[in-house]
Amino acid sequence: MLTIAEEILLLFLDEQKGTFVRAPDFQLELALGGAVLMDLALANRIDTDPERLFVVDPTPIGNEILDEVLARIGESGQDRSVEYWLNDLREGVEALMERLIDSLVARGVLRRVEEKVLWVFESRRYPVIDDREEREVKRRITNALFSDEIPDPRDIVIISLVNACDLFGVILNPREVENVRSRADQIARMDLIGQAVGNTIGEVRASILTMMSTM
Amino acid sequence: MELRDERQDGILILAPSGRIDGSNSTDFESGVMKWIDDGDSSVLLDFEGVGYISSAGLRVILILARKLQEARGQFALCSMQTSVYGVFEVSGFTQIVNIHPTRQEAIEAMQAASA
Repeated sequence: MLTIAEEILLLFLDEQKGTFVRAPDFQLELALGGAVLMDLALANRIDTDPERLFVVDPTPIGNEILDEVLARIGESGQDRSVEYWLNDLREGVEALMERLIDSLVARGVLRRVEEKVLWVFESRRYPVIDDREEREVKRRITNALFSDEIPDPRDIVIISLVNACDLFGVILNPREVENVRSRADQIARMDLIGQAVGNTIGEVRASILTMMSTM
Repeated sequence: MELRDERQDGILILAPSGRIDGSNSTDFESGVMKWIDDGDSSVLLDFEGVGYISSAGLRVILILARKLQEARGQFALCSMQTSVYGVFEVSGFTQIVNIHPTRQEAIEAMQAASA
């Protein structure tokens, strides 16, 4: 089974072009950081409440990426907010992304293609080799959004991240996006880490707008 | 965390006490799930003695609510302390599970729904 972080990275990938969908960098950074925290929460290693995030069990999971983040949170020695850790994890997010891609390549989900554009500029693409995992994530999200049933915790965290990044357009057509908006908002509220990702993305977006308006 | 059980008018009432967080959420889940797996489909959680709930605890509530929805059973909570109700409200859980101010009101509502 893929991690939440791997699943969300696949959703950011345009499967036709093998490139990542155009979205502000901070959205992807915060979503990946949030996804890693969610993976640790679902593995019952960390826990949260509306004020803080704390380690429940420091035992490594066996996933190098998640275990490093778990150790980092544990070493801080104090309870901090989810927002603090989202901002903290943004610093190493490029390396995190590369490692997630390596993992997806190693699992045979993606392939890495290096090429030159106009014979000069280096460019990378990541065509999907095996799209079963991606289709499965999209199917789960769609099922949860178009039913009245209580969603599964794993689906809630993915939906809260997709909602925070406004990424439903990669799964649904514009009319469907409008139809599921209130259900998506309702589900997205159900995960406190997802809420924090949404709030932090909103804050970064607002600060960028403020900065632009004063230029 | 302790989990007391009693039965009233065919409804299983489970009353946890203390904190529900990642350190005991698995025990809480298996403690309640044992009853559901044994066939109880009308379950009321009396939260009077619960002073704190974290995301891990909420996740258990979600799993129980989902399980009883699939089994076409009944699930409700009652007698929540204000701070715990606040966590349910912030996370939108007040919209997906039935929460009643008192045990008596919860029992009456569950009986009316099954009539």
